[in-house]
Amino acid sequence: MTLFGRRLPIATALVTAIAIAAATLAPPDQLQGELQRLMYVHVPTAWVAYLSFAVTLAASVAWLWRRTPRFDRIAASSAEAGVFFTGLAIALGSVWGKPTWGVWWTWDPRVVTTAVMFFVYVGYLALRQATPDPLARARRSAVFGVVAFVQVPIVHMSVVWWRALHQPPTVLKPGAPTIDGRMLTALLISVLAFSLFYLVVLRARVRLAVRTEEVEAALAERDQEPAGNAVLAPQWEKKGLRADV
Amino acid sequence: MKRYRLLAVSGLGLAAVLVGLLVFGNLNQNLVYYMTPREALAQRSDYPDGRRFQLGGLVEKGSVQKTSDGLTFAVATTAQPGGRTVAVRFDGAPAQLFQAGIGVVLEGSWKGNAFVSDTMKVKHDENYRPPAQAGDRS
Repeated sequence: MTLFGRRLPIATALVTAIAIAAATLAPPDQLQGELQRLMYVHVPTAWVAYLSFAVTLAASVAWLWRRTPRFDRIAASSAEAGVFFTGLAIALGSVWGKPTWGVWWTWDPRVVTTAVMFFVYVGYLALRQATPDPLARARRSAVFGVVAFVQVPIVHMSVVWWRALHQPPTVLKPGAPTIDGRMLTALLISVLAFSLFYLVVLRARVRLAVRTEEVEAALAERDQEPAGNAVLAPQWEKKGLRADV
Repeated sequence: MKRYRLLAVSGLGLAAVLVGLLVFGNLNQNLVYYMTPREALAQRSDYPDGRRFQLGGLVEKGSVQKTSDGLTFAVATTAQPGGRTVAVRFDGAPAQLFQAGIGVVLEGSWKGNAFVSDTMKVKHDENYRPPAQAGDRS
């Protein structure tokens, strides 16, 4: 069993190549021009962040139900990926915001709620590090993983609920997407490519977690003292008693 | 175990209350990112000259004029003509996408009947389309 597998990375590379071609061939936007192409990386990273946290939610529920260590590993691995993609979405949004909005950062509801989501899931990872006992760690992080997911709908709906600088959703909303067909195609292929990449990373991380556990178990076994080590031989000499009589 | 369950339930309850407050509570007054021209004019007395706030709206078509150190234009609440607008004096270089008809969020304060601003953010919408070809202008 290799860490990354064989077929999935090849499929991901293929879809990524198609996505790059589609993003290059799609027409520029009437208003934003070539800048609008940042959408083909910014939107998929945000989508994969949502997806990661949804997987963490599902795996956390599954762990609470079945108590299988596998679900805990999936939940933790997916949260790590989610934190990475949330950070990337904020960074890419910043790059897009500077030329279009005119600022790198603003206290816009969407931007702020996304940053809060980032830090809460960093807290999830910190909680895991702070709990050495595997069972307690799995239980606490499963509850955390379920409760923290409430932020995903808040982040998504923030642009609808509150007055924001960030534009409302284009695709994930009631009604038809308000985007040119070729742009939408390029966007959907990009989303597929990023989702496949997420699957590659998630699977590798889960396998790595399995191996880490194996190594830790082996080390614990090696370091274990031999049986009977705690029993001391009687030391008559120290007490001034002769041992030879 | 029992103590932990109590902790988890109370945590969930707290989260639910917070979410409920955010969604249904009337916090919008304090969380508002910008005021529309209509609101800014209605609350003119609450914002004396020099008190900074953010004003957001659409740049009225045909109102943009260059001055020696910036721009003047009018900001409307909606795209429909005839609504009340706020005259804006903007000092500095406009944002890259600035043009008549686009959404802007301006940071600044009242000065008499005009809104004087030094920071501009451009608000683009969620519609994406290729540049209009010659002949199919809509």
